[in-house]
Amino acid sequence: MLSLLLLIPFGGALLLALWPGNPTKGRMRTVTLVVLGLQLAWSLVVLARFDPGNSAMQLQESLRWVDSLGLQYKLGVDGLSLPLVLINGSLTLVSAICTRDIDKRPRVYFALLMVISGAVNGAFLAQNLLLFFLFYELELIPLWCLIAVWGGANRDYAATKFLIFTAVSGFLILGAFLGLALLTGTADFSLTPITSERLSMGAQLLLLGALLVGFGIKVPLFPFHNWLPDAHTQASTPVSVLLAGVLLKLGTYGLLRFCLGMFPEAWAQLAPGLAIWAAISVLFGSLAAIAQKDMKRMVAYSSVGHMGYILLAAAAATPVAILGAVFQMVSHGLISALLFLLVGIVYRKTGTRDLTVLHGLLNPERGLPFTGSLMILGVMASAGMPGMAGFISEFMVFRGSISAYPLATLLSMVGSGLTAVYFLLLVNRAFFGRLAVTPITDPVVHGRLDVNLAAVAPRETIPAMALAVGVVAIGLLPAGLGRLSEASTTAMTQLPALAAALKSGGLG
Amino acid sequence: MPIISAELVHAGSMPSAEELQSKLLAGDSLLAESADHLIEVVDVLKSYGEVLDAYSTNLIFQAEQQFLLPFPLFKYLDGENSPAKIWRHLNHDRINFEYAEYCMKAVLWHGTGGLDAYLDSEAFAAGCAAIIRRKTRRDPLLGLLHPLFTGFLIELIRTAATTHALGQFWRVMSDLFLDLARAESDGRVASIEAVVEFIKDGLVVAAANPITYGVEVAGEHLWVLPPEAGLTFLVDVAVPYVEAVFLRGLPFLGTVSFNAQAQQISPDQAQFAYGALYADPLPSMGAGIPPSLLMQDMYRHLPERLHSWYRERTRGEGDVRVKICMSFQKSMFCVTNAAIRGTFPHPLSSTDPAKQAANRAYAAAWSGRLAVARTDCLDTSS
Repeated sequence: MLSLLLLIPFGGALLLALWPGNPTKGRMRTVTLVVLGLQLAWSLVVLARFDPGNSAMQLQESLRWVDSLGLQYKLGVDGLSLPLVLINGSLTLVSAICTRDIDKRPRVYFALLMVISGAVNGAFLAQNLLLFFLFYELELIPLWCLIAVWGGANRDYAATKFLIFTAVSGFLILGAFLGLALLTGTADFSLTPITSERLSMGAQLLLLGALLVGFGIKVPLFPFHNWLPDAHTQASTPVSVLLAGVLLKLGTYGLLRFCLGMFPEAWAQLAPGLAIWAAISVLFGSLAAIAQKDMKRMVAYSSVGHMGYILLAAAAATPVAILGAVFQMVSHGLISALLFLLVGIVYRKTGTRDLTVLHGLLNPERGLPFTGSLMILGVMASAGMPGMAGFISEFMVFRGSISAYPLATLLSMVGSGLTAVYFLLLVNRAFFGRLAVTPITDPVVHGRLDVNLAAVAPRETIPAMALAVGVVAIGLLPAGLGRLSEASTTAMTQLPALAAALKSGGLG
Repeated sequence: MPIISAELVHAGSMPSAEELQSKLLAGDSLLAESADHLIEVVDVLKSYGEVLDAYSTNLIFQAEQQFLLPFPLFKYLDGENSPAKIWRHLNHDRINFEYAEYCMKAVLWHGTGGLDAYLDSEAFAAGCAAIIRRKTRRDPLLGLLHPLFTGFLIELIRTAATTHALGQFWRVMSDLFLDLARAESDGRVASIEAVVEFIKDGLVVAAANPITYGVEVAGEHLWVLPPEAGLTFLVDVAVPYVEAVFLRGLPFLGTVSFNAQAQQISPDQAQFAYGALYADPLPSMGAGIPPSLLMQDMYRHLPERLHSWYRERTRGEGDVRVKICMSFQKSMFCVTNAAIRGTFPHPLSSTDPAKQAANRAYAAAWSGRLAVARTDCLDTSS
């Protein structure tokens, strides 16, 4: 059943690659939309079959592959991975929908999009460390291509930087997995929690450290964030949507699944430091966002800040915090995808994302009023306004973490306040005031400019509207997602206690 | 990758005060001559004429039939209080008479010209006293209010007088603009220059029309603005109206500057430059006060020729109110042009150096003020 979540996108990519003749761009897009729609529908079937009350891996499938290497094709889903699979299905579809003005090699573009979606599904579902690594690396090259071929003017620099950072990330993760096998003396790479309890604390800390840096690059956390703003700035809008909404979640998923899940004892030791790291990341991301003049870079830095909440929650490792981390992954996926979509619309219509140049885009007649309204909704959600997804996730993360790490949580709350600061700066500069898309040199001349932006067609805002509905729906009705993940996340929080109990001679 | 048109941002050129002055003295029209301008000006003035007809009827109705009513709930219904009309009113299927009231308040507040002088005169105070005496005898609420707030009813009568005078002014202008549209369709007017001349002639003909206003109180006719006050159309109402609405205006959102705390608004009313000739056609998060109310009303009466002209440009229906406002501003420059031409102290053909100097000074005063208005719409460079 879960294999179909891989077969559909990979099969779709193959179908598109082998499609006979020279199909039109529109037809290729339609094929992609059908395939990705099918994938999302199948994700919903998986959701329907999923038992939320069961914290164990469900719907497992396995197949022996390369036994001698310990590589086994083994898939499974739980309350942590299922929401991410759903987000992947939704946002890849959104990316394909909002790909309209692709100028070269559409066949390769859409095929790569589907390969990424399949690889991400594989990474979230893999129950074998090597299989996870395989999928983790598999999405890397297509994404590099998407930035390097279809990116902005400085795309080579951004794509190479992305490749180097994530290659190092992959290297560290593989090193940690191999190290674990070497030190435990088994070549079984099955994903079984607390396999590390046979190791010395020093070895655990070493392996955990490698994983932390590896996933910290992918998340990204300060100071490994450097690749993200460049990648976003040069990537096209659909790629940014995928990058922020889905691919960063591989990092946070890795933190929870592999770092916390496999090294709970060492994790508990490092947790106070991790909480401070999270707070630093949150504050750095927020302060850096305030300083940005490019709308897309501002949203990218806000991702750095908001991903820090997940590390904070993971450090606290209380049931509420971990559930909050899942909420944060989902809500950040939706909100950042929404913001990137809207920035994309602004860029398409005005030719710039420069906050020193854009003004008054909310103008009801000549501006982009509906885009602006959705942007205000998006930034409010991001800043954690009640009634929207951001509030639920941030509140749960803070509520779950404050008793464990009050200082780090309070500092992260400051970061949440700073989100309001930079996003209000963005909205105030770009959307309020007199409409303009040129620098203000002379206020008198500026006040007389006749600005003729093309109107935004309703169909252009449909993906953004769908995401906005999702953001509000989760904000108003969070119980569904909560029920889906609660059993699994609560079970994860038992791991440190379980590890300690095992260490001290058993549970009996 | 976005493809941005070179026409994304257009900056119209602004003629200098000297250029404007020489045009006025030469008897040239300020707005550039073009077929597009002719369509815009004539058709927008036609829709404006129809809107002014409704404004005028309503202002005169308010001043005569709703006089000193403490709660004039049905003042916008022109006396037709049927459920169907009330429903249409509540459903906003109506003319924005609020715009007319804003203009009346602007005229009243800026208070220039003969009408304002009369409203502060002894004769007016005496007339008010007589009206209030009769009115308070029959109306207990007014009878209670007047001793408590002695200036209140007098101010209401001043408001009613300004309302009626503006109603009379717009009656003339409405007919003039509708006549202009007929003249253009008959082929009698075929250029911007002819438009300006037509309006000037209309203003000159109506210049000496008396402005009077009387009310019925308890079956007795009482004058508020009696004939003996000698108020006339051009000097006492039209000129103060142009001063208050075209030039000074009120500092509402949508004009270039409106921040009183930043000292951007002059404490001297005479220095105000927020009127129709200065207003930004782009609504900048304003609250729906002029000019957007007027644009909505004109949109309801837009001639098909101009409507289809708008549909072919920029965002079509999407930004039609902005385009109406741009055309309206052009037409208002034509009206101002006509008013200036009709009020030169001496004929422009005069060869007497003293008279020429007086004309020059008059043109300089106007061009100084117009040079900072939205003259970029005049298209003088193209």
